[in-house]
Amino acid sequence: MTEIDPHHRPSLAPRVRLQIDTVRQEPVLLYPEGLLVLSPTAHEIVRRCDGHTSIESIVRSLGDEFDATEEILRQDVLETLADLQQRNLIVLDP
Amino acid sequence: MTPRPYALLAELTYRCPLHCPYCSNPATHTGGEELSLDEWTRVFAEAAALGVLHLGLSGGEPLARRDLPKLVTAARQVGLYTNLITSGVGLDANRARELQAAGLDSVQISFQSDDPAQGNTIAGSKAHDAKLEAVRLVHDHGLALSLNVVIHRLNIDRLPQIIAFAESLRPERLELANVQYYGWALRNRNQLLPTREQAQTALLVAQKAQARLKGKMDVVYVLPDYLQDRPKPCMQGWGRHYLTVNPAGDVLPCPNAGSIPDLVFENIRQGSLASIWNESANFNRFRGTEWMPVPCRDCPQREIDFGGCRCQAALLTGQAAATDPVCALSPDREIVDRILDHAWRTEPDDGLVFRQNPQAVLS
Repeated sequence: MTEIDPHHRPSLAPRVRLQIDTVRQEPVLLYPEGLLVLSPTAHEIVRRCDGHTSIESIVRSLGDEFDATEEILRQDVLETLADLQQRNLIVLDP
Repeated sequence: MTPRPYALLAELTYRCPLHCPYCSNPATHTGGEELSLDEWTRVFAEAAALGVLHLGLSGGEPLARRDLPKLVTAARQVGLYTNLITSGVGLDANRARELQAAGLDSVQISFQSDDPAQGNTIAGSKAHDAKLEAVRLVHDHGLALSLNVVIHRLNIDRLPQIIAFAESLRPERLELANVQYYGWALRNRNQLLPTREQAQTALLVAQKAQARLKGKMDVVYVLPDYLQDRPKPCMQGWGRHYLTVNPAGDVLPCPNAGSIPDLVFENIRQGSLASIWNESANFNRFRGTEWMPVPCRDCPQREIDFGGCRCQAALLTGQAAATDPVCALSPDREIVDRILDHAWRTEPDDGLVFRQNPQAVLS
């Protein structure tokens, strides 16, 4: 499996849809025969995965919006993306 | 509080051009008068309002419904993630384009074997080449592809070849599902049950493929539950995450619940999906853990396997509320062991019954 690198520009895998579950009021990733409920942090990360924005830029953009050090944010982003990569829900470089 | 469902399986029709002897459709049910496009549209909207996010369009063969693209449009209009579960037979370029334009999210195509001759024999139809063409069309139209291969004594020894074949078709997901014994499969259980040696070898092959393909292709392996000593967590619990609407509009906790003799199901033509989900005696009957007998009631696994499968308990012990007899802790486990003994003494091609298909009943 490809090692995640801050220069990657991740996007959701083609079969995956990010949607707000309006009944339960929570963000979910939908994919064939499964779904993943996202934590608020994971949602902020995933909605920035547009295939154009690098991981470094995602970290900076989160830093502008949330009160946390870039170091902590970078760790959150890398851990979340590694988890999604394991589940085959993101592609690192479109 | 009643849980909210996540997924709806819409069995659009029991009509099918294939004759697979492992089919889980009820062997005695014709499908009745099929729900119309308007009725399904209402079901999809009510399902979404109830919390459903995932829709499986299944059958029978859902492509037998000429209005399938309109059904997909209706599902997408209410935000459902829509997965077509098909044999692939009946998909041509025109329909693939219509389905893609309607917003279909993904397609699951079944194969019976990697080997065309064996595939055609099991399907009871020259379907293998049509399936390959369907795979090509799914890729051409940019739809997500899953493959499903049902595994049993006749093809389980080919698992390495089946996995290699599936890889060559570049799906994002491969489901290798050992037969579960309901409907037509139940009639053919003696011929389809794998031997213990076959099942052990196949499990190792599947696990190696899962490790090798991690992050590239999901490989899901559904175990042959009769050969396990703990039951499957059937439907992740009765009336918890899943519901099924069959071709005639009956609302069921699972596709096979019709095999429980004393359950009479509500129909979407007589009530709303929400009232049936929330209030029906059938849906409430096996929710939670209150209904459970010993040994399930005190078992640390009770919220993991939910006591196994209610249909299987009914089919094998006559009691829907019994512990799934697959469980080694069940007082009825000897029933499963006797079935296995008998099956292993049956030749696989001795008296195999191929699925017969209902006549078209269209509204």
